[in-house]
Amino acid sequence: MEHSPVTTNPLIIMLINMTVVFIVLVALIYLIKLIHFVDPTKEKPKPEVEEEEPLVAVKSAPAVSAPPVVEEGINPEIIAAISAAIAAYGFAGTVKAVHILNHESTPWKASAKFNNLQRK
Amino acid sequence: MEALNAFSVSLQAVWNDSGFSAFTPGNGIMILVGLLLLYMAFVKEFEPLLLGPIAFGCILANFPNTGFFGEEMNVMKAINYGITYEIFPPLIFLGIGAMTDFSPLLARPSTLLLGAAAQIGVFVALGGAMLVGFDVHEAAAIGIIGGADGPTSIYLSTKLAPHLLGAIAVAAYSYMSLVPLIQPPIMKLMTTQKEREIVMKELRPVTKFERVVFPIVSTIFISLLLPPIAALLGCLMLGNLFRESGVTDRLSDTAQNALINIVTIFLGTGTGMTMSAESFLRTDTLLIIALGLVAFMGGTAGGLIFGKIMCKFTGGEINPLIGSAGVSAVPMAARVSQLVGMKSKPGNYLLMHAMGPNVAGVIGTAVAAGTMLAMLK
Repeated sequence: MEHSPVTTNPLIIMLINMTVVFIVLVALIYLIKLIHFVDPTKEKPKPEVEEEEPLVAVKSAPAVSAPPVVEEGINPEIIAAISAAIAAYGFAGTVKAVHILNHESTPWKASAKFNNLQRK
Repeated sequence: MEALNAFSVSLQAVWNDSGFSAFTPGNGIMILVGLLLLYMAFVKEFEPLLLGPIAFGCILANFPNTGFFGEEMNVMKAINYGITYEIFPPLIFLGIGAMTDFSPLLARPSTLLLGAAAQIGVFVALGGAMLVGFDVHEAAAIGIIGGADGPTSIYLSTKLAPHLLGAIAVAAYSYMSLVPLIQPPIMKLMTTQKEREIVMKELRPVTKFERVVFPIVSTIFISLLLPPIAALLGCLMLGNLFRESGVTDRLSDTAQNALINIVTIFLGTGTGMTMSAESFLRTDTLLIIALGLVAFMGGTAGGLIFGKIMCKFTGGEINPLIGSAGVSAVPMAARVSQLVGMKSKPGNYLLMHAMGPNVAGVIGTAVAAGTMLAMLK
């Protein structure tokens, strides 16, 4: 049903509308918090560290002498094989930049990084 | 002699039925406007998916004697019904919902305030429009351009000022495509280097329960409070529910691909069809485009100001740059926040944080539209 506007004063319309928008969105904030509060699947906060057992001096056993692991990097043959596979797949562009992507990155971070790479 | 006479009469009839006989200089200007929009869409790539069909619709609308809007039903008239009866904007929202991840908003709900603050532009433009002589309904429809939300702009102007639909849609989509040009200078002007360099904390993980319950609960709450936007909000949240439920992949896929693409073609073409010479070539159009820019800049500034306030109150935990994403051009505005943040401090990834206010802006603009409909219709 159509009716005439309550007011035509721009300032009053602005104030009423902004107030309503803020109230609705603040109410949504509390709704989101409520959903989080009642969420039965959320991870329970881990209990505080339990009382530590008193430290007892233990005679240390002689260390097993494990052979030191030496990081030698990737075998050049593997790099050559991967490069050949990429070339066979049809890649023929020139490399503009090399970026090392962090494997621990979240999907959102990865998306942001990818977005930046696309712009370069 | 008789044959010659018949030939002459036939030629006369063909000429009289042709578009050339009724072609006006206004039609010519509007076809040029359509060509300019086509250039912007396909060469400059300003929102080509929408501006392309709008531009072509504008060209089609300015051919005389086509009978597109006559008594008989035809495809163009059917497309126009989709706009007149507000069918297309909610369907677009269905697709947007299926494409949107609400997790950043759910992880940090306080960013809803940034989405609300960015609506300041809507109301500044509303006041400005009334001051320059538009009536309250027209002013409300013009103001919503500041929300940077095309479907909501079309939805509201169809209800409040259908005669301004073409100008409002073109202004809204043009400014949305110009977000990367309009926002950064305002962002740099209103924030300090130190503020732009703030690195925000990682967001908490959001459970599937939260992601499924939020669209249902928010639809119930907002639709009961503001029934005029139940179709818009309902479709947005239904699309999101398809995405998050995990058991409706086919529906989610259809909503975010085939459906939204089909509806975009119809919405764009139908909107362009409203840009006839007699309805578009008016000084009002220039005013609407100018007011749209004011609205857009006001919205960006509003979000940034509130971002600065939140930065202060949280002891520097919030980077104010995410405030500008409160205008709802998803995900363009969030990308701009990310880009400006990265320029200030390489390695500062704001995208996930800016998506919170960005999707809050979509909800905020819909709520602003609903409030104005409740007050004015």
